[in-house]
Amino acid sequence: MNAQQLGQNIEDRFGPDVIDWNVLGPDQLYVTITPESLVEVAEYLYQDQGCRYVINGGTDRRQQRDAFLITHFFAQDEEKIYIAVHTEVEADDPQVDSITPVVPAANWSERETRDMVGVVAVGHPDPRRLVLADDWPEDLYPLRTDVAHDIKPPPAEGVAPERLEPPEGASVVPIGPFFPVLEEPAYFRVFVEGEMVVGADYRGFYNHRGIEKLGCSVLTYNQIPFIAERICGICGYVHSCSYCQTVERAAGIEIPERAEYIRTIVLELERVQSHLLWLGIAAHIIGFDTVLMQTWRMREPLMWLCERITGNRKSYGMNLVGGVRRDIKPEIYDDIRSVIDKIGAEWQELAGAIPGDSTLMARVRGTGILTTETARGLGAAGPTARGSGLAIDVRVDHPYAAYDRLEVTKCVHDSCDNLARVLVRVEETLDAIKILHQALDDMPDGPIMAEIDEELPAGRQAMSAVEAPRGEVFHWVLTGTENRPERWRVRAPTYANLQNVPPMLAGNALADVPISIGSYDPCFSCTERMEVVDVNSGQVRVYTEEEFRAEYDQPGDE
Amino acid sequence: MFKELCQKSFPKSLWVYHCNVGACNGCDIEVIDVLTPYYDAERFGIKLVGSPRHADVLLVCGPVTRQVVPALKRLYDAVPAPKLVIAIGSCAVGGGIWFDSYNVVGGADTILPVDYYIPGCPPRPEAILHGVAVALGLAEKEIESVHLKQLPDRPESVPVEVESS
Amino acid sequence: MIASKLKEAILSLRPGRVTLKYPFAPHDPEEDFRGYPELDADKCIGCGGCAAVCPARLIMIQDIDQNTRRIMRLLERCIFCGRCADVCPEDAITMTKRFELSTDSGREDMVAECEVFMATCQRCGRCYEPPTPLDKIMEPGLRHDEIKRGGQDSPYKHISSE
Repeated sequence: MNAQQLGQNIEDRFGPDVIDWNVLGPDQLYVTITPESLVEVAEYLYQDQGCRYVINGGTDRRQQRDAFLITHFFAQDEEKIYIAVHTEVEADDPQVDSITPVVPAANWSERETRDMVGVVAVGHPDPRRLVLADDWPEDLYPLRTDVAHDIKPPPAEGVAPERLEPPEGASVVPIGPFFPVLEEPAYFRVFVEGEMVVGADYRGFYNHRGIEKLGCSVLTYNQIPFIAERICGICGYVHSCSYCQTVERAAGIEIPERAEYIRTIVLELERVQSHLLWLGIAAHIIGFDTVLMQTWRMREPLMWLCERITGNRKSYGMNLVGGVRRDIKPEIYDDIRSVIDKIGAEWQELAGAIPGDSTLMARVRGTGILTTETARGLGAAGPTARGSGLAIDVRVDHPYAAYDRLEVTKCVHDSCDNLARVLVRVEETLDAIKILHQALDDMPDGPIMAEIDEELPAGRQAMSAVEAPRGEVFHWVLTGTENRPERWRVRAPTYANLQNVPPMLAGNALADVPISIGSYDPCFSCTERMEVVDVNSGQVRVYTEEEFRAEYDQPGDE
Repeated sequence: MFKELCQKSFPKSLWVYHCNVGACNGCDIEVIDVLTPYYDAERFGIKLVGSPRHADVLLVCGPVTRQVVPALKRLYDAVPAPKLVIAIGSCAVGGGIWFDSYNVVGGADTILPVDYYIPGCPPRPEAILHGVAVALGLAEKEIESVHLKQLPDRPESVPVEVESS
Repeated sequence: MIASKLKEAILSLRPGRVTLKYPFAPHDPEEDFRGYPELDADKCIGCGGCAAVCPARLIMIQDIDQNTRRIMRLLERCIFCGRCADVCPEDAITMTKRFELSTDSGREDMVAECEVFMATCQRCGRCYEPPTPLDKIMEPGLRHDEIKRGGQDSPYKHISSE
């Protein structure tokens, strides 16, 4: 079945509710439906067609159409199709039916659309604020076009996020918002009964920087790749690649083959770098710093190599709409080969040593179980999904750049635990090294930048995805006037994977929480302090980690 | 004066607490990189600690986002005096590429008194080490503001420096 | 168990000492590294192309009087992408290899200002040729006087004033 047939099927099934549908390229289907039929169409795609939910986006089109455009994105991986389901919601009654009851993965993004565009998902099971700061005014929606990108409402005192109530008899262990070693602040409230975790609540988006708003209101097409790259400092290149691909598709720009290969090579270098980094952090979380030091030592020559190829150790700044900015000089090929071969050899040695290490294995085997059903239901991506037996990999399912000409293996494990996610990444690194060799061998000559003679037309749209080290990165662009997109929607893989954390934690010992959270690669290593709320007495005590460890024998590091 | 006092108070080792107040992780990873074998900041007695109460220095990465402000203030108060704040990366120094976004408050010095600035996007590990060396008094800063002017009668000539701070 | 610990020990011991001597000995970046963007005031014609493409929007073009145009760069938030150097028609901007930019005297140290003598200029903007239409100058009349510092309009109080 191709996109054409799927579109026909939807029209046959829902008849007058389908206002319009069209197909762009071989793999993109755009359907516009009435708001009344949204839930049914979503259920049909998700249940009957076996589609995977990607994300939801809201666009303020009051100027053009006097309506808000709500778009749900799905992917049909076997048939290699991305599906955008558009619904227009009247501007004076911004409400739409929630699809979360039938598609659980839509939970966060519907909340985000409420926060950012102000279209309420009616019937949403958990309609709390998700993205905006706690003291942000209730009726100000930043992504609406009449709200300035640099608006700074006055702060409010004493506001706290709405919290989930813990189950009867459970205690609450807050983790965060600052973690002493790494990465983004985030605030988990883990519900425990004794040592066992029975649930969790999450308040994140401490790092929300309003990137989509900047992209749609101040930056121009060729400035966005650089801000996209800074969505993530570890795997930022995937975002700039995905953005550029999306705009190129929307505008019908064909990029030169050599540029595709260069993008592929840098993407795979980034994957190797990111997986090395992750293994080190994961080992650090479970208190095995030798592996941290060794993997990061192995990684360093790769960082120098990236600096040599791109001009910066990370946030490479290689992409522009139409191609890449720098060529990889042929005299560097051999240096790339020798660096990755050395990493490959040492990596294999390390990977050979790990399975025999029973203390290490005790911490990862059988912990942090994420079942295949939950992973699909909540839309897990990347190694998290592949560790739960879901064979999805954008490089194979929706090939981009030069991946259709290269041999890519899907590394899948079905034991669903932390170990599976470790093994997936270990194998993927070795596979990435193979892909790099193929790409270097096949690299064609030619230009690296397409000729762009005209301004980009307005009103076109395109979708594109890239397989990041953490999973699928998805971008959608609706082109606009003034040399910038009217709407640019981004989905990062952790957005999907984070939603899997509460079910993943349930049933684990508290001690396994850090590695379980760490296993999908946002890398929380240990807690700054813990606040324990005793449910029965209602007393709050603040413990330092040492006290906490002494009292609860909580293993940790630092 | 305060800085001299600080340099005297920490003659041997700085214990640092690292916090990400909205960064993309680029700088955070480089901070960790500084502690790994190739750069090994521990040879200067620098140690990453797990609690702000143990720290002498607060490393701030990223633009301060709105949601993080109250937590950041609490964190700063938790660090015992005398304390230093080092802003790492262009975001913490000047707000970065999103300096005017609705959810970004600005550079770290909008909220906290910052003692040392290390620009870069992300700064190389060497640049972070250089910043540490400046803080420890091992190296001098190498940058200063630039004011240049083309002269009307000699437009082709070398610009003269009119002012330097 | 022991075998695997041994393997790990061998793996850790084999590389020997790798720590670089930096900061006591220099460790220079690779060729083509993008460091501090230096402006050659002699070459600058004040066309404003760099301000048009800068993703961090840190370059202000301001006409002080008939003859003088001020190019003010708040490099404190520079992301070192090098786009300004790419599009400069006169190659006045070079991405140097300087990366030791840390300072103890505030972000003012990262400000770079240049006054360009523009006596005969018609300010039509034609001296800047955008590489693609995507890089064209968006500001009408080339100049923009608003360049904000990050945090200038913060609604939050500084901790010292609380």
